[in-house]
Amino acid sequence: MAGAHTRPLADLRRADEPHFGAKSANLGELSAAEIPVPPGFALSRDAYLVAAEDLGLEGRSAEEASRAIRAAPLSAALRAELDAGYEELVAAAGDPRPPVAVRSSAIGEDTEDATFAGQHETRLWVRGIESVDEAVRECWASLHGPEAVSYRAELASAAGAPAMGVAIQLMIDATVSGVMFTCNPVSGDPSTVAIEASWGLGLAVVAGEVTPDEYRVSKVTREVLSRRLGPKELEYVPGAGETGTARVEVSPERRRAECLDEEQLARLVDLARRVERHFGGHQDIEWAIARGSDEPGELFLLQSRPVTATPSRPKPTGAQRSAIDLVMGTFGASGGGERP
Amino acid sequence: MMSESGGAFPSPYSIETPPGCEGWEEMYPYWATFDERRRESDEKRLWFWNSMHFPVPMPAFDMVEVDHPYYALGAWQNRAFAVPPAMGVDYRVVNGYVYISPNPVTDPERIAERAEFFGKRAGHYYANWDELYGEWRRKMEALNREVSEIEVPELARYEPDEVVFGDRNLSSTELLSAFSHTLRCAEMMWQHHFEFLLLGYGAYLTFSDLCKAALPDIPDQHISQMVAGIDVVLFRPDAELRRLARLAIEAGVAPAFEEGRSPTEIDAALAASEAGRRWLEELERVKDPWFNMGTGDGLYHYYGSWYDDPRIPYASLVGHIDALRAGEDIERPTAELAAERDRLAEEYAALLDDDSRASFEELLGLSRKVFPYVEEHKFYCDYWFQSRFFNKVREFGALLAAHHFIEDSEDVFQLSRHEVMQALEELSLTWATGGSALGPEHWPPIVGRRKGLLERLERWTPPPALGAMPEAVSDPMVVMLWGVTPQRLQEWARSQDGGGDRLSGAPASPGQVEGPARVVRTLDALADVRAGEILVCTITSPAWAPIFSKITATVTDIGGIMSHAAIVSREYGLPAVVGTGTATARISTGQRLRVDGSTGVVEILGGDDGDAAAR
Repeated sequence: MAGAHTRPLADLRRADEPHFGAKSANLGELSAAEIPVPPGFALSRDAYLVAAEDLGLEGRSAEEASRAIRAAPLSAALRAELDAGYEELVAAAGDPRPPVAVRSSAIGEDTEDATFAGQHETRLWVRGIESVDEAVRECWASLHGPEAVSYRAELASAAGAPAMGVAIQLMIDATVSGVMFTCNPVSGDPSTVAIEASWGLGLAVVAGEVTPDEYRVSKVTREVLSRRLGPKELEYVPGAGETGTARVEVSPERRRAECLDEEQLARLVDLARRVERHFGGHQDIEWAIARGSDEPGELFLLQSRPVTATPSRPKPTGAQRSAIDLVMGTFGASGGGERP
Repeated sequence: MMSESGGAFPSPYSIETPPGCEGWEEMYPYWATFDERRRESDEKRLWFWNSMHFPVPMPAFDMVEVDHPYYALGAWQNRAFAVPPAMGVDYRVVNGYVYISPNPVTDPERIAERAEFFGKRAGHYYANWDELYGEWRRKMEALNREVSEIEVPELARYEPDEVVFGDRNLSSTELLSAFSHTLRCAEMMWQHHFEFLLLGYGAYLTFSDLCKAALPDIPDQHISQMVAGIDVVLFRPDAELRRLARLAIEAGVAPAFEEGRSPTEIDAALAASEAGRRWLEELERVKDPWFNMGTGDGLYHYYGSWYDDPRIPYASLVGHIDALRAGEDIERPTAELAAERDRLAEEYAALLDDDSRASFEELLGLSRKVFPYVEEHKFYCDYWFQSRFFNKVREFGALLAAHHFIEDSEDVFQLSRHEVMQALEELSLTWATGGSALGPEHWPPIVGRRKGLLERLERWTPPPALGAMPEAVSDPMVVMLWGVTPQRLQEWARSQDGGGDRLSGAPASPGQVEGPARVVRTLDALADVRAGEILVCTITSPAWAPIFSKITATVTDIGGIMSHAAIVSREYGLPAVVGTGTATARISTGQRLRVDGSTGVVEILGGDDGDAAAR
């Protein structure tokens, strides 16, 4: 499958970002690096631009634009490409109506300068081609949503006409999911991975609807340096008929239980290190552990973006001074730095 | 109980004498107490209980272990190296317990002046470390032999022929100089002890500070793991025992090492065969020097060496032989330990930016160079020398006992060194004149009274700190060795008002464990430790190693990032929380604890003995 406007995610590379958006390009990079990413395909920015031109969005208000996008069906050519992409997922999943996640992949999103985290639409547990079609248009429409518009207005770098790619991936039926940073987001310590985890789909953690379990794990020894049990009162699970999502209460026993064990934490740290190495910088990673008949459940990376606001870590007084000078400093001698 | 001076801790002048302990001051020098004439300055300072070195009340003689180290430490730090912000450490005794307080230098001009001296003098040591340290080892071995060889004259009815026909001195002359010589050896030991210690710790502390600035989450144990020596002298005694255990099996003499037999019985069983006798000869070769390993921290007269209490090495031999026969591997995994230490260093270095990495690597190199001293001085000084020194003092005690000045040679430790000198003077005099001595009437009641005092004082629990809360702790030794940081002081201050059922300390070895507590405040109580218990103690020493195979976790009152409890716990993979300040005071034997060695939190879950419930 490689239509005019669609490409398998696994074929994309960083250089494809201007055409497919940062999210799709990153996922492509990661699958090429053999990092476990759910299979799927990407819709290009041009698919949106063509649709926008067909609809004559130029010069129309944000509200009118999103209404128009939602109302108009996709062009036959694009719909055919979408059909072909979805058929491949049908084959891969062995399911006639496999659930997929449809995610926005905006251009200029998730760069080191800016993150559009949460501004753009994501649809989960979407089943059947008709629903995929609709979800794609919802993503496009969110480009004109009030939050995205005002966020863009504050960003000089995002100047120019807005445009967006879309990523469509097989849905991971997550028992546990969450986010992790490849450094300590508070102290900036590069030797630890900070992990937040909660039951069910990652939505609850990403949207800040639960206080998750928190872990800090050493990259060097995989020791858990600190853990804090969160209340995790609710979780997102597949909705009725395994379509869409439902927000449900978590039972008291599962609230009190840690949702990750040492082995899973170690796998997460390994994943964090591989992703960090691949991109050569600190990453903010969404992940999920699949409900598998086989134990342990498979770990998937859902998305990764550069850590945008790196904490300003004070430069160690050690920089560029000889060991003896530094020791003299410890003893308060020879112009040494103050001990912290 | 708040300090009258308005600080966070009780005033040292507000501490009451426990009932029945009136007059405890007689055991100590006049300069050792909180005297009204020094009240104004003493009350304004912070004094903290040095429970790391002095967990129980001081017998009068053992004050040599307070005076000598503090003048050696002070002279090196303040007068020889001139560490810019820190002079020496003052001490005071309260109800038999030793409290210490550093003397800071605060005048910036004086600090700058001292920095000049320090830079030149410390620089010389760092630049010539290996050579100077090699020399140090030779000096210490010679000193250890010197103190062992001091001859205590016999005071026989008639002087030996050599006094008349040769050039031997009168025994009365020799007796006093032999005792002076013994004391001088102790002063020499402490001089040697502190010659390198400051600089060794300083290099380590600098490395530790750099790590924490660049890697704020790094656990202390990873820092010490990167620096710690793999093949240091302290591990040799047990390595020799493992070798002897293998040898016993190869030689077919292992059956002699039956559990429950005393060392004498084992020796007798071995002596019955040719192979056994050959094994015993090999043991003799190992003993000097490796049986100079201590059975506890060497600062009290009752801690001896393996020579004095061979039950400890024999118990290890039995354990090693049993393990070998069960097919277990008893070797210390030195290759794995070394590989892990290098792996940690490489991985952390790779995570740093280029500037920090260069400093990290250079400081790690320096720390590794100086660290063998930090670990090995314990063997040469605290174990080998101390056990020989106290045994020499026992010889003087035996002489005094033979002349009925005291009842038993051990009683000599109830007299101060000045009093021992006085007693020896009277003994010399009356031995020479043939007159009658007052000593036999004078000393025994003093000895008896002091034994009673010490027993009662031991039941008193000293507060962790007295006096005023300082704004800063500027003495590097105080931070390094005792773990006394402003944060730790705040915790101590909070825990004074009961503090609830949580204690916090430094996370020293990771892992979580629940179990019953065993509070150990004296070496004797160590024998009560049962398998599965959590050891709660003031501080451990490496000589306690055998009990680490029984316990499930360690909690200590005092201990910084260098404490032995931390190092040994990590080797045994046991959770450890050190430096809680008050664990032995707030926890009772039998209470259930939850110890989290990763966060440094100890929770008291509940008491299953009445004693605990009453607290």
